[in-house]
Order: sequence, then structure tokens, then C-alpha cells
Amino acid sequence: MQLAEKYRVKKYEEILGQDKAIIEIKEFLKQYPKKRALVLYGPAGTGKTCLAWAAAKENNLEVLELNSSDLRNRAKLEEIAKPATEQQSLFKKGKIILMDEVDGVTGTDIGGIPEVVRLIHSTRHPIVMTCNDLWQSKLSPIRAASKVVEMKPLDIGTIVSILSRICEKEGIKKEPQFMKQIAIKSHGDMRAAINDLHSYADTGDMTVDMTEKRDVEENIFNVLRRLFKERQEFLDLFDSVNLSLDEIFLWIEENIPKEYKNEELAKAYLALSNADVFRGRIYKNQSWRFLIYQNIFQSAGISFAKPSQLLGFTKYERPKRVLKIWLHNQKMSQKKSISKKFAHYVHCSTKRAMRDFELLRPMLKQPSTQKALKMSDEEIGFLNR
Amino acid sequence: MNETNIWTEKFRPSKFDDVVGQQEIIKRVKSLVQSMNIPHLLFAGPAGIGKSTLALIIVKDLFGERWRENYLELNASDERGIDVVRQKVKDFARTKAIENVPFKVIFLDEADALTKEAQQALRRTMENYSNTCRFIMSCNYSSRIIDPIQSRCVVFRFKLLEKKDIVRVIKKICDKENLKISDEALEILYESAEGDCRRAINILQATASISPDITAEMIKMISSQAKPTDIKIVLDYALSGDFINARDKLLDVMLKESVSGTDIIKAIQKEIWNLQIEPEIKVRLTEKTGEAEFRMIEGSDEFVQLQALLASFILAGQGKA
Repeated sequence: MQLAEKYRVKKYEEILGQDKAIIEIKEFLKQYPKKRALVLYGPAGTGKTCLAWAAAKENNLEVLELNSSDLRNRAKLEEIAKPATEQQSLFKKGKIILMDEVDGVTGTDIGGIPEVVRLIHSTRHPIVMTCNDLWQSKLSPIRAASKVVEMKPLDIGTIVSILSRICEKEGIKKEPQFMKQIAIKSHGDMRAAINDLHSYADTGDMTVDMTEKRDVEENIFNVLRRLFKERQEFLDLFDSVNLSLDEIFLWIEENIPKEYKNEELAKAYLALSNADVFRGRIYKNQSWRFLIYQNIFQSAGISFAKPSQLLGFTKYERPKRVLKIWLHNQKMSQKKSISKKFAHYVHCSTKRAMRDFELLRPMLKQPSTQKALKMSDEEIGFLNR
Repeated sequence: MNETNIWTEKFRPSKFDDVVGQQEIIKRVKSLVQSMNIPHLLFAGPAGIGKSTLALIIVKDLFGERWRENYLELNASDERGIDVVRQKVKDFARTKAIENVPFKVIFLDEADALTKEAQQALRRTMENYSNTCRFIMSCNYSSRIIDPIQSRCVVFRFKLLEKKDIVRVIKKICDKENLKISDEALEILYESAEGDCRRAINILQATASISPDITAEMIKMISSQAKPTDIKIVLDYALSGDFINARDKLLDVMLKESVSGTDIIKAIQKEIWNLQIEPEIKVRLTEKTGEAEFRMIEGSDEFVQLQALLASFILAGQGKA
């Protein structure tokens, strides 16, 4: 038996380093059906699936697993999911529906994300989903319909203590220093750490081969670190990370001012601006040949914006802009629908009505106008707020 | 039409003779309509000078009471693509016009918001339905309308309304609504509307909601409130070297006011000349701004171009660019 399987945690108290997530999932199950679905997101090996199973066990719930890789079409989703959500369990036990890796579900295809969202609205049992990257645009309908909980990579101390406990039980004799090396190499991925430990268990090695890279995707944070700190012709830098060039673009944009100041800042933005100009040309004329220019400006262009290598640690952040716009749009949906009605009434564009909204507010507040535009109660509520 | 309290509608002229300004155009359009056969029309000119009004008058004149059944209004900047436009045109054009007019009328507002490709597609649509439909298109700049469409239309260039025209409209409304407005306030109102009659009326109505006695100060307060003055704060942050705050504030302004990047660029370009900096730097900033506007048209993400502009302003603020 693989060690990683054998030491899969089964109770809340065994899950280390994820206290916040545990509180959140407890709350979710207590408050259900206030929110009908929960998404646990974070990198591999942080305990997303374990936490879901532990939650089921602690609450004496049966787990119905929908593995999204098997369920890429509507027929199957309906066949398996509907009976589960619309019928009670055989043994009168409550259920939890677990969907692993929802990022594997296709975006708009039949039976893809829209079906998951329908499922969330129609379910009679709490749904728990896991995914690595929640911020892909195709997942935004799921984001909107669910409670989201982040699972952070485990810190080195936590990993070392878990590894030590396993060694003790398995009778593996290794130095603490060895454990620490494995922990560093794992980048917070507990499963990877245990697997590494397993592979060294019966050898006499006392050091870990740090160069032997796992063929998993390069973390975007490492890519950013190399891009901003080093000065290199990074033409294939982005190949190792499992994000589209446009997504990487947003990451770079968010983090430029954290690294570069003044001239470097202006130079880096000029490179990004150039990349965007070529991207625009690609979009408009489908000139995919220009992709190489976008790539070069976006990689080497950013890297060479500084005169020499940078040192020190910088904490990079997720791109906030898309999220901010999305949140804003959620908040402003009433404003938009009012503007649309008004624009139709006075023969101008919705955009213009949105722009002049503050000017129009007094007249929109008049009951006669609200009646003429057939405003809904929510829209009137928005104006009175 | 029911009684309305939205003044831009309440006081919208519904007869050719009521229209203020644009007298040459009115005369020609009127005679076209009297012949009961209009060609496709293209109305070009800035916002708020009577393009939509004239289109409405045309259909009301042609179809009388039943104009709504024979008239489709689309706003190109709001539709989600040329396919939506074509589908709506198709559905509308399927049935024959009633009354004794042999065609229906489609008003496509802000047609210059369509891309060149979309306009090519539109031109096909115009041809396919030319038996049953007439198009009236409006745009801010006729140069943004492709030649084949222009050549299928009679083009009318609307002029900016003169001061006396706008004053006349405002005075008439004040009369009907029992408002008192000082000459100074009229002056300020005209200036802040920038020749846009719709805007002038909206500012007037917003001001009148506070008090029927309208002063210059009230107009100033109301009209400045509706402008993105926050742009100055963005520029101040950038020129003082604080990029992150400048960027955050910029995004806030864009979201709060729902303005496009192009509108922001225009506001920046204007604001530069109000800043307390060396004229020489103003010229350099303007150069950067122009470049950013150009890149915005070529590129795909307006906000990136604006960030690049702010980054270059930081250097200019230190006298280095």
C-alpha cells in the first residue's frame, strides 16, 4: 500500500495546517441550505479531498462521488446526479455530493459547467467541490453559486511533523534535516512529500536529490520570481506553467509595481503595452503569427526592464482586477438594468445612461418615472439605498 | 404617449417645425418624407443635437399613430454583436409595413460603434431587406462608417447647436415648468453642456429637483458632480510617484462612472492643462497621452494602456521623461 494512501487523514483533528478551512466547512454544513455548494480550492496535495471526506465522516454522511472526468456529458450527469439529489439514501443516511476537480469540467459544452450550476440549484444534499484554479473565467458561474474556501499550501513545519510521525510508525529512520529537505522540495504538497519519503524509505540515503523535479506544473509564483528577479531571454518561460498567455498577462500586470519602480516600471509597462498591441492585432485579424511578439514582449521585455538582477523576497499577489470588475458588476446589476430601461425610453444608449447616472438619479427617484419605466422593486430599492 | 416627467422626452419635438437648429437638414428631410419614399439616411454629428429626434419625427410623420409597429430602434453600442443586430432586423423585416407606406424604418443609433467587419455584414443586410426596410443610421463621425454604406445613404451632417438655440430650448422648459433661471445660470448651463442639448436638459432637471429657483452655483455643483473629476486625483498620485494608488483609483473611477478607457484618455488630456506643473512637462504628458490613445485602438485591453501611461507620468513627474 502506498504510504500516501495509508496515511490519508480521516478526521478533522488529523488535518493539520488548515484550521481556517475546517471552520469554514463546519459552518457550511451547519448553515446548509443557505449556501448549497462549497468549493475547496488550492494547489495539489493540500488536503481538499481529505477534508471533504473527513467532513462526511464527522457528520455521519454518505459520500456520493461524482468524478468530473467521467462526467463530461449531460446524459451521465443526469443519470447519476439526479437520482442522488432527488431521492433519499437507502439507509436513511444523509449525503454529501463530492465533485473532485471541477476545473476538469468543460466550460460551455452540453453537460458542462451549466449543468453543475443547475445541480447546485436543484440539489437536496450539500455539494462539495474541489479545484486547483478557481479563477478561470469558465468557473465564474460556479463561483457565484457557491461558498468558496481556499486551502493554502502547507508550511514546511507542518509537513516535517507529519513526516516524522509517519517515520515513527513505519520504523523509517531518517534525520530531521532529511525530512526538512523533502518538505522544501514538496512546495507545500503533502502528497508529494509522502511519496518522496516512500521512495527513500528503504534506501540509506541521507540527502534528497533536489534537482529531480516532479513533472508537475511550475508554480506561477516561481515563474514570476524568475521573470522579475533574473535577466534572461525567457522565450520558453511560460511553457512550464499551466496558464494561458492572457492569464499570465494579468499576473504580470498585477505584480509589476511590486518589483519595479520609476524607469524600470515605465519600461516594463511599455513592454506590456507592446504585448497588448500585438494581442489586439491577433484578436482583430486572427494573425496568430503575432503571438511570438506578444510572448517576447511579455517575457524578455519584462525581464530586461531592469538594469541588473534583483535580490530579496517579494510576495506576489493574485490578479485582482478581473475579480474587482466582476464583484463590481454583481453590485451594479441593478444600475445597469435601470439604465437599460431608461435608455430605451429616451432613445439613447445604455452606456450613456450609465455614464450620466448620477445626473439622472433625482428624476429616476420620482415615482412617476419609476412607473413609466416599469421598474422592479429591487431596482427601486437600489435607488433608495 | 403617456404624460412623462422625463424632460428630455416630455419636451422632445414631435413635428418638423418644432425642431430647433439644423434648419437646412429639416427642410430637405421634410420634402423627402412628403414624397412618401425615403432613401437610407445617415445622420452624422456629436451627441445631443437632434439626430434621434429627427428619426422619430420622420416615422411619426410617415406612419402617424401606428409608428411604433413600423419602427425598430437599435443601439449599436449596446447590442452584443452584429449577429444580434442581423437577427433583430430579420425578425422585424419579415412582416410587411402597414398603412400606405411600402416600407418599415430601422433606426440604428451609434452605428460607428460597429467594427468594419460588422459594417460589411450590415451592408449585406441592408441590401437583402431594401424592398421592405429603410435604414436611418446615426454616428458621431461619418469617417468611421465604411464607404459602401455611406454610398448607399444620403448623408446629413448635423451641426453643433448654437448658443441661442440651446438657450431657447431651456427658456421654454423653464417657462412650462415654472422655473426661474438667471442669465448667469443659463450661461454656465450652456458651457457645461458643451453643445449637447440632452445633457443641458438633464442638468436642468437634476438642478430643478433641488429648487425651482436656479442659480449658477447650483448648476456648477450638479454638473461637476457628474463629471469624472477624480481623474485629477489619479494624475496627482501618478505625478507624485505613487503608482499603486494611482492605478487603484483609476480602476475605481472607471467602474464607478462606467466610463470607457477612451473617455478616460480624453479626460486626462483635458486635465493635464489644469495641473500646476511646467508647461514643458504638459507638452510631454500630452505626447504620452496621444500615444496611449493610439495604442488603445490597436490593442485589446484599455486598462493596460492606461497603466502604461500612468507609469510614464511618474517619470515625467520627476522631470526624467
